[in-house]
Amino acid sequence: MKLLPLVFKNLFRKKTRSLLTIGSILLPLFVICILGTMLRALDSDPSNGKGMYRLIVRHKVSITNWLPAAYDPKIRQLPGVVEVLRMNWFGGSYVDQSARNQFARFSTSDADRFLKVFDEATVVEGSEKEWVDDRSGLLVGRLLMKKYGWKLGQKVTLKGDIYPVTLELTIRAVFEAPDETGVYFHHEAIEEALPRVKGFVGWYWIKTASLEATERIPAQLDAMFENSSFPTKTETEKEFQNGWVSMLGNVKLLVTSICTIIVFVILLIAANTMAMAARERVTEIAVLRTLGFRKRQILGLVLGESLLLSLFGGVLGVALYALLFPGFREAVANSPMGGFAAGMKLFPEILAVAFAVTVFVGLVAGLAPAVRSAQRSITDGLRQVG
Amino acid sequence: MLGIPLKYNVRNLFVRKVTTSLTVAGIALVVMVFLCVMALGEGLTRVFTASGSDRNVLVLRQNSQSELQSGITRDQVPLVETLPGVEKDADGKPLASAELVVVLNLEKREGGSSNVTIRGVEEKGWKLRPGIRLTEGRMFSPGASEVIVSDGVSRRFKDTNVGEELHFGAYRWKVVGHFDAGGTAPDSEIWTDVEGMINTFKRNGYSSVLARTPDRAARDLFVAGLSSDPRLALEGKVERTYYDEQTATAAPIKFLGLFVGVVMAIGACFGAMNTMYAAVSSRTREIATLRALGFSRLSILASFILESVFLSLLGGLLGCVLGVLAVKLALSGVTGTTNFATFSEVVFAFRLTPALLLTGVVFSLAMGFFGGLFPAGRAAFTKITQALRQVG
Repeated sequence: MKLLPLVFKNLFRKKTRSLLTIGSILLPLFVICILGTMLRALDSDPSNGKGMYRLIVRHKVSITNWLPAAYDPKIRQLPGVVEVLRMNWFGGSYVDQSARNQFARFSTSDADRFLKVFDEATVVEGSEKEWVDDRSGLLVGRLLMKKYGWKLGQKVTLKGDIYPVTLELTIRAVFEAPDETGVYFHHEAIEEALPRVKGFVGWYWIKTASLEATERIPAQLDAMFENSSFPTKTETEKEFQNGWVSMLGNVKLLVTSICTIIVFVILLIAANTMAMAARERVTEIAVLRTLGFRKRQILGLVLGESLLLSLFGGVLGVALYALLFPGFREAVANSPMGGFAAGMKLFPEILAVAFAVTVFVGLVAGLAPAVRSAQRSITDGLRQVG
Repeated sequence: MLGIPLKYNVRNLFVRKVTTSLTVAGIALVVMVFLCVMALGEGLTRVFTASGSDRNVLVLRQNSQSELQSGITRDQVPLVETLPGVEKDADGKPLASAELVVVLNLEKREGGSSNVTIRGVEEKGWKLRPGIRLTEGRMFSPGASEVIVSDGVSRRFKDTNVGEELHFGAYRWKVVGHFDAGGTAPDSEIWTDVEGMINTFKRNGYSSVLARTPDRAARDLFVAGLSSDPRLALEGKVERTYYDEQTATAAPIKFLGLFVGVVMAIGACFGAMNTMYAAVSSRTREIATLRALGFSRLSILASFILESVFLSLLGGLLGCVLGVLAVKLALSGVTGTTNFATFSEVVFAFRLTPALLLTGVVFSLAMGFFGGLFPAGRAAFTKITQALRQVG
């Protein structure tokens, strides 16, 4: 520990070099934090465990094929089903097709059951009753209200693509939930304009009574409709989300590979700096040895400097990331991938990984120069010029 | 002005082997990562830019962004096909194919699942897409619940070999053939007979009509005719434009490539700067000697910038080699992602174009230039007398 002041002094002897090295560790670590957060967000569960009690039932062929609305009573009578919610993807557009105006638009045949199935959501403005009672009422996520500066009672026009209708809906309630990037309205609003779509829905949400029910119902329900004209596939909310991630392709492998290579790049840069520093101090280290410094102490001196250098870069990189995180999250929320932002947090495990990378880089980068410095004989060191 | 020979710099780089190779390796890895991610984006973009013909018009319901969202009723089809501008075949029948697209959720061979487009086509659908050919098995026979699968899809999804069966509850299709569409959109699709498909899925119409026009004038006439008919409420889009509009799918990947590339390049640039500062400070006396011999400040500046540029050029070239090796060896198969415009899988291959490689090299030259600028400046303004007096 007595060596610490000397390590500090050594570190900032060449200020430009130390600052450049810190910079070249800081930036890659910042990238690792961002990529790591994206990766971790793919696995996150924004519902905080409430999703364990939710199942989704879709057409076996794919979610874009509709199911009969009449499955509702048959599903409800299964033991362990607490509530059933029929949902539908409206799609369409708000104002225009630009990235800024992309958000999820759903219609439901059972507005009165919505908050029973999504019980992590609470209405914070307006009231559930007003929304349920108004056939052209709209339930809006808080984040969207803020983004577009909407007010309660305001009319919002949605233009359909799958459904060739233009809907004028009135904001009746605002909800707060982990994912606040969607709007919900009554399926009757579409059915009134397009009678031919009556009788069909996109998918069913089920709220189950217990984990036992969550496990049992999928097989039971799918067997019930197996040989009908509309076979089903029932999954837990988690499996359903994983399905989306899987649709993106092998993102995890791509991002993990990028991160691994980035670690190598930092390692090379840090190792270069330490090699240069050690080379310049050959004579000096020999002098220290003649003064009575042990090999072990020399080892510690060089390794400590390397570790400290890396830690400076790493801690600053993580700090920069933590500082910019709210802005980064908001940028993602406002992008077409807005739904993704719900799962993004300042994950402590990502910060821990970044810290571990820093320590690893510091130790490995300093190892070769440290061992070489410690092992070099005093006479050799003193003989060296320059 | 007398220039310092480049050999001076090259030799110096090779004297400091460890430092040079560490710096070169760092730059090479950055260039490689950049190239691989961009090759991914390029491969995806290529599917869309290579797809569709200028002479084909895709007819969709008004406001539909994709075929999946569109719907065309049975009675609308003859009205569309008889509009002026549609090319006729030898028998005098319009060259147009009414098609239905549905999305199937298939299991991938590597695990997980994804949506794949199954397209019901009329016989004329083949004539409208001349780039497609059968690679294995035979064509589906109409009405027999048979499908042909693209090579790309069959490599990525289970139950798609010739002779196997795709089934979803009561829905069953036998795979009777494989086809290849030369890297265009149908390479991500499964094809079957449209009437059989309408029966299976109990639909009351089609998704789209693809019509061929003989030339640009006829095409514009046809598109104008469609939009001016209020009974139809349909619109025509040139097939090539339709696919071009989907290139946005590749935007997030390209953004990732640029973001990682640029931030890492700044990091590697700092590394190069470090190396160059060390090079300059260890040669202070040498530089002063060069100045005393009559070389100008400008020559010194140029010389050290060149040294740095050369250093990172080595890195850039090595990065290109690594990138090519990675794409050829490790990433040579087909991969896929979901196109959210059509809500289904796009199958594509990594594509490392000469233009991309050039970008990689330019990228490394920029790192070298900025990394060398300040150290070279320090070298150029070395005080001759002081430096020569310096010991060691």
